[in-house]
Amino acid sequence: MRGAVSLTDIYAKYNEQVKFIPIYIREAHPVDGWWFGGNFLTKNLMKTFAPRVAMDIHDPQTMDERRQVAGACETSLSYGVRTYVDEMDDAVNKSYAGWPTRLYLIDTEGVVIYAAGLGPYDFHPSKLEKAIENYL
Amino acid sequence: MMTMIKDRKTATAWQKKYDLQAPKVGDIAPDFNLRDANGQNPVRLSDYRKKMPVVIIFGSFT
Repeated sequence: MRGAVSLTDIYAKYNEQVKFIPIYIREAHPVDGWWFGGNFLTKNLMKTFAPRVAMDIHDPQTMDERRQVAGACETSLSYGVRTYVDEMDDAVNKSYAGWPTRLYLIDTEGVVIYAAGLGPYDFHPSKLEKAIENYL
Repeated sequence: MMTMIKDRKTATAWQKKYDLQAPKVGDIAPDFNLRDANGQNPVRLSDYRKKMPVVIIFGSFT
């Protein structure tokens, strides 16, 4: 998952005080979608800046396929946090506009206290960490 | 099912459409109930009310 390395650090630091819920959603750049692997420039940019991102994944068409890819992602990235899987209707993804990647912090009253802007441009784990620090 | 996003144009259109309804700071976060990659261990956001703050991380493998 994009940004997982630094999120791993945040998880290690706060997981006893904060519940982390990574949600696997529809693929960002699958082979059968907006694929980056077919373009020399984007392929090499991804290899350089996101080396653990997969380049050979088709977008899952069934819930079983989605769970399989989510499991492979969780294993490959080894970030140590259980990954949850959005249903095929993409309901959670749509309600949070989560695609392709996004971060939120919810307080103990269920209120959003940090909402990153649209991914990937506003995917900044450091801002999330600051929000956690301010809240705790 | 979500419309397949094939390029930047369709990606931007999808994000603009759904960002309008996405929760903002100060809003109640929409509740959800999901299971893990094995179809087990259900998690419900509202179960953490009065207990712990929650970080939600959306992402995929690509």
